[in-house]
Amino acid sequence: MKKTILYILITFLFIGTNYAQDAYVPVPGAAPQGETILYGGTAHIGNGKVIENSLIILEDGKIKSINTATIPPKAGNVINIKGKHVYPGLIAANTTLGLSEIGAVRATRDYQEVGSINPNIRSIIAYNTDSKVTPTVRSNGVLIAQVVPQGGRVSGQSSIVNLDAWNYEDATYKADDAIYLSWPGITSYNWEKEAFEKNKNYNKALDGIRELFTQAMSYCDNDAPTNTNLKLAAMCGLFSNSKKLFVRADGAKEIIAAVNFLKEYDLDIVIVGGRDAWMVTDLLTENKVAVVLNKTHNLPRYADDDIDLPFRMPKMLQDAGVLYCISVGAGWDGFWDQRNLAFEAGTAAAYGLTAEEALASITSNAARILGIDKTLGTLEVGKDATLIVSEGDILDMRTSNIQMAFIQGRTMNTDNKQKQLYRKFMKKYELEASPKQ
Amino acid sequence: MTEVTFMKKLIYLLLLCWISNDLLAQQSFPVNGVHDERESSYAFTNATIFTQYNKKIENATLLIREGRVEAVGAGVTIPKEAITIDLKGKYIYPSFIDIYSNYGLPEPKKSERKWSDPPQFISKKKGAYNWNEAIHPEYNAFENFSANEEKAKVYREIGFGTVLSHQKDGIARGSGVLALVGGGKDHEIILKDKASAHYSFRKGNSGQNYPSSLMGSIALLKQTFYDADWYKAAKYTEEYNISLDSWNQLEELPQIMEVRDLLTILRADKLGDEFNVQYTIKANGHEYKRLEAIKATNATLIVPLKYPKAYDVEDPLNALNVSLADMKHWELAPSNAAKLAEAGVKFALTPADLKDMKDFNGNLQKAIKKGLSHEDALKALTQTPAQIVNSYDQVGSLEKGKVANFLITSDSLFTKDCKVYQNWIRGKKYELKKMETTDLAGAYQLKIGKYTNDLEIEGKPDKQKAAIRINDSTKVSVHHHVDEKAISLHFNTAKDSLLKTKLSDGFVRLSGWMDDDNKNWQGRGQLANGEWVEWTAKYKGEVKKDEKKEDKAKDEKKGKDKEKDSDKAKKDEKPGDITYPFIAYGWTEKPTAEAVLFQNATVWTNEEDGILTETDVLIENGKVKAIGEDLEVGAGTKKVDARGKHLTSGIIDEHSHIAISRGVNEGSQASSAEVSIADVVNSEDINIYRQLAGGVTSAQLLHGSANPIGGQSAIIKFRWGLTPEEMKFENADPFIKFALGENVKQSNWGDNNTVRFPQTRMGVEQVYIDHFTRALEYEKAKNNNKNGKPFRRDLELETLLQIINKERFITCHSYVQSEITMLMRVAEQFGFNINTFTHILEGYKIADKMQKHGVAGSTFSDWWAYKYEVIDAIPHNGTIMHEMGVVTSFNSDDAEMGRRLNQEAAKAVKYGGLSEEEAWKFVTLNPAKMLHLDDRVGSIKVGKDADMVLWSDNPLSIYAKAEQTYVDGICYFDLEQDAILRKQINEERNRLVQKMLKIKKGGGETQKPMPKRAKHYHCDTMGE
Repeated sequence: MKKTILYILITFLFIGTNYAQDAYVPVPGAAPQGETILYGGTAHIGNGKVIENSLIILEDGKIKSINTATIPPKAGNVINIKGKHVYPGLIAANTTLGLSEIGAVRATRDYQEVGSINPNIRSIIAYNTDSKVTPTVRSNGVLIAQVVPQGGRVSGQSSIVNLDAWNYEDATYKADDAIYLSWPGITSYNWEKEAFEKNKNYNKALDGIRELFTQAMSYCDNDAPTNTNLKLAAMCGLFSNSKKLFVRADGAKEIIAAVNFLKEYDLDIVIVGGRDAWMVTDLLTENKVAVVLNKTHNLPRYADDDIDLPFRMPKMLQDAGVLYCISVGAGWDGFWDQRNLAFEAGTAAAYGLTAEEALASITSNAARILGIDKTLGTLEVGKDATLIVSEGDILDMRTSNIQMAFIQGRTMNTDNKQKQLYRKFMKKYELEASPKQ
Repeated sequence: MTEVTFMKKLIYLLLLCWISNDLLAQQSFPVNGVHDERESSYAFTNATIFTQYNKKIENATLLIREGRVEAVGAGVTIPKEAITIDLKGKYIYPSFIDIYSNYGLPEPKKSERKWSDPPQFISKKKGAYNWNEAIHPEYNAFENFSANEEKAKVYREIGFGTVLSHQKDGIARGSGVLALVGGGKDHEIILKDKASAHYSFRKGNSGQNYPSSLMGSIALLKQTFYDADWYKAAKYTEEYNISLDSWNQLEELPQIMEVRDLLTILRADKLGDEFNVQYTIKANGHEYKRLEAIKATNATLIVPLKYPKAYDVEDPLNALNVSLADMKHWELAPSNAAKLAEAGVKFALTPADLKDMKDFNGNLQKAIKKGLSHEDALKALTQTPAQIVNSYDQVGSLEKGKVANFLITSDSLFTKDCKVYQNWIRGKKYELKKMETTDLAGAYQLKIGKYTNDLEIEGKPDKQKAAIRINDSTKVSVHHHVDEKAISLHFNTAKDSLLKTKLSDGFVRLSGWMDDDNKNWQGRGQLANGEWVEWTAKYKGEVKKDEKKEDKAKDEKKGKDKEKDSDKAKKDEKPGDITYPFIAYGWTEKPTAEAVLFQNATVWTNEEDGILTETDVLIENGKVKAIGEDLEVGAGTKKVDARGKHLTSGIIDEHSHIAISRGVNEGSQASSAEVSIADVVNSEDINIYRQLAGGVTSAQLLHGSANPIGGQSAIIKFRWGLTPEEMKFENADPFIKFALGENVKQSNWGDNNTVRFPQTRMGVEQVYIDHFTRALEYEKAKNNNKNGKPFRRDLELETLLQIINKERFITCHSYVQSEITMLMRVAEQFGFNINTFTHILEGYKIADKMQKHGVAGSTFSDWWAYKYEVIDAIPHNGTIMHEMGVVTSFNSDDAEMGRRLNQEAAKAVKYGGLSEEEAWKFVTLNPAKMLHLDDRVGSIKVGKDADMVLWSDNPLSIYAKAEQTYVDGICYFDLEQDAILRKQINEERNRLVQKMLKIKKGGGETQKPMPKRAKHYHCDTMGE
């Protein structure tokens, strides 16, 4: 009986026209009992493989099995998704989601602390599970996010969260996964002269970074430091490689400088931004440095550039064998615009990547770069049951229509405030709401 | 007295006056000491004289007296009191005139206002001056002028004698003074006190916020024209205004406008046309890039000779910071003057803008090397500048009565070895280089002690070379130095074995003197071994010619080699093409409209026919000619196999801020209805091309949203490579941008911006009601203006009146429902409708009211959460508005999104399940309707403009690429052509990189390539 009710409920949710209540903040999903069986969908594994007509069994928050469906399952909590597509939950690297609610309102911004060297700052404690923005992002398939502090030379520590939770501890997938460092620019903009010039403080900034890392290394080697230094202590994970160092750098010169400079500390480095990464792929592959690319929906930097350069960057990294993922980035729109993550990858697919490579760039690649690939990023047995079901290709806004999502097996409510406002006003105008919301 | 006698007497009298004036040169100053007045009459004889830039007289005499030319020509009688200077072999030219100087003027006063201070709305200048600090026509350069010897010296050294000086600050800058850079004290060197009137589009040191954009500057000038006109009748009765008074006084003077970029030349000329003023335009050296359009202005230009240094491109990564346009400009800038001359544009040259004025002559040489004729160069430095300030009767040539400003040179001016010896200003000599007149050419018998041999001296007086002739093939060169009658020689004996044995090994040094006719020299000297000797040299005659034979042959060979070299160099140096626009992806050959048949396409008609499959579309003469199956066409028609492809009408962006020069907001006041984006369309923006590649063919370029009443917009077609005027959508209805909410309340502008009214939505309503009320009162006053009372034309109110009279239409930036409703009600109160709400993120909440009002909604697909007023924005907004009968579109407001509007349209399918056909209209037909252009564009229909796009896929799909984009049947973007252009860009860059590397290797000066910031405007971008 219980199962039947659940089934009906899920069917309603999946149809998307009928909602129990229009609460602005949907209730986090509960852990289901027993198996959930997804039957008949095209499974995009996330590692390049596709299983048409798949049978996916979820249990205890994990993927219990995934195979080609030979015969329709007869018993159990079966959800028929024939003709639909299943994908791993999308992973948004480098976001301010949950740290910013309204860009222009200072009181709602919690991503930038005072000071330049803030390795001890932790984003996770400010992560707002009740943000009205998050449900609009996850209803487009983004289920996991790396939430990142901004500003300064060392911004602080990011954490990885799942997007359906009661509180931040509940949301935490991997706390303090990385420290973010902004590489100094070799040139800097002079606002008075309205022109770029050589960054006079560049060498000073490098000295500052060297001093910080050298002292942190020494501090972390010391079993019994006389004084506790929160900043240096926060960096110890870097040297034991339990934490990654994400380095923001866009220019080729800056990337070259950063990779070579940081080599001596033997850290796990990821380049974030990576506008010119395609120019230095040898350096990146030789040093096994991964890249979190910012938006493909970007303009070329210079008039002379190929007009589709930002669209083709993922393909260039793919061909060169660089590990990369695509992100929306943590700019002014770095929270609400995460809902367009799949389309950033879609454009890369239009410009060279295969659809499955494009998918990997926001699932398995992202999981590897964030160090969560043991449990996330693909639809493989043993991994988390964190996945989405769409009516059509999620990389294309023309066909994307996320109808169902599971986070560690829990059914996620795909409703959000915006859909509710849509229904509210359709009702007011006595119009019929579309199932496509 | 007969009439004849009377006339004679009169002439005599007048003559006397003239002469006495000249001779006595009275002045008002007392003298401390004994008067020392001299007649200063000089005759320069036997010279080649250029009396005008194009009039050369050989073997002529220039007679000057009291600082003026008394006579010039071949048969001039030299009065006995004149001091004669023999200039055999020398040249005389009129000295140069710099028409764009601020010589002798103090630095303009800087406003004390800091950028962080609260806004300043009106002038802080005390007195009855203009309301705007940037309008100060009352400034007279002559009142502030004082010679500056240090700077004058530099001017004289580079050949100038006269300058037109004005204070280079502000928009209406006041009058310029024509003065000399030497020749007397301040009282003697001013030739014309008010010689010119000066303007620019930059507010300079004004501390006022208005204007904060180029379009604001243009509007301010326009309004000032009207104010000044009104003031002619309103003086005293309405107000007294020193600035307007001065503006009117300057009206009769030559009007000189400074611009800082190429397109602003066209803007300046257009402004002038509106007010019957032909500006002389101070340009910036980029004119060759749009020669045809520049020529069409008929303006005389003042052109600086400023060229960029080569870029240091040794590091290929750094070199990426230099754009192809900058590289090409480096190569072509020196040919600017030659190209202007060739095109028949009248221009003066100026050393203005040079960091170091001493670079002027070198740069002029470069211009000449690139084809500027000597005659054109001299004209641009003498006659043309003189004519610009109507002072050719005074300066610019050497004719009777003119100021005696001239240069004495060794050779024809502008030739490589030409030396300028003297620069005479107002009859006063300034020596620049000692003039060597002693001619020692000839063969001498040289005796040094017991040694005797021939010494030969050859060449022109100031560059004669001496050598001892050992035998037919051997000469030992001798350094000689002459100072009046003293002569010294030295040479090295080591160069010849015979010399070495006779005169010991090393340097022989001789010192002595010459006799009256310089033919006999004698003196003492010291051999290399220290022995003192007597020496003499006796003139023998001319150097024998046959002795030179061998040298000549050698020279000839050298010459030939040189020619070969230069031929090779020429080949290497063939400069790059000029592209339109002059940036990457510009074309060299103007694309034209073709007859094209698209065969078997999926055609999104946007008409009743809906989406047709397997359909042919024929375009011809820029229009859609036929739609159907298996269309028959003539042989001249290009056929495009469109099977599997989609053909649509071009995307129209209702809200764009690309292709705008220097500022999208004139947000300094609550209303800036007088400004217009149409004045500042920037045809050279790469985003036009990028968006063509995204299928966009038209856009409304909007003013920003910094104030409730923004500025007028421009609607353009993306005719890539054409000029701003050519891009404008013909006969489009005029629109204006309004704005509501946080931007106009300055909510997010920081704590300094809390004083401009309005600061709340409540105030915004009042701004509108107040302005429209004033507009109606203005209309009343205008219509009742029969009693001859002066009427001041107000551009701001005229614009508002157009709105009330339904001659101009509002596109209003808007977010929340309350303000949207408010504006509709205000409009209704004044009897008109709002045309379009743009952004309109809460349109879905009042879609019924919007439908009733008849307003369209142009929204973002899914932007939200960036500020408080977008907290309730939903991506279904477009769908709801559409379903409620509101004409709905998606716009970009963003250069990046502008090239993906097809994808944005697809979001109406995703959010709210709109049909694909209707969603597509969101970016094509519906914006066309909003802009009142749906009778010409927005659908594929016979007779409509052939603005269309061939897509590789369903245009709403993320996988779709625009393969070809047509505007008026002209293919401005083609994916295949794009690939060719990329290759060409790369090759051209590489050619220039190699060229610049050679410059650096050859020790040439270079500059470091630095990144450049691309300017992308949004609604809320302030400043330029």
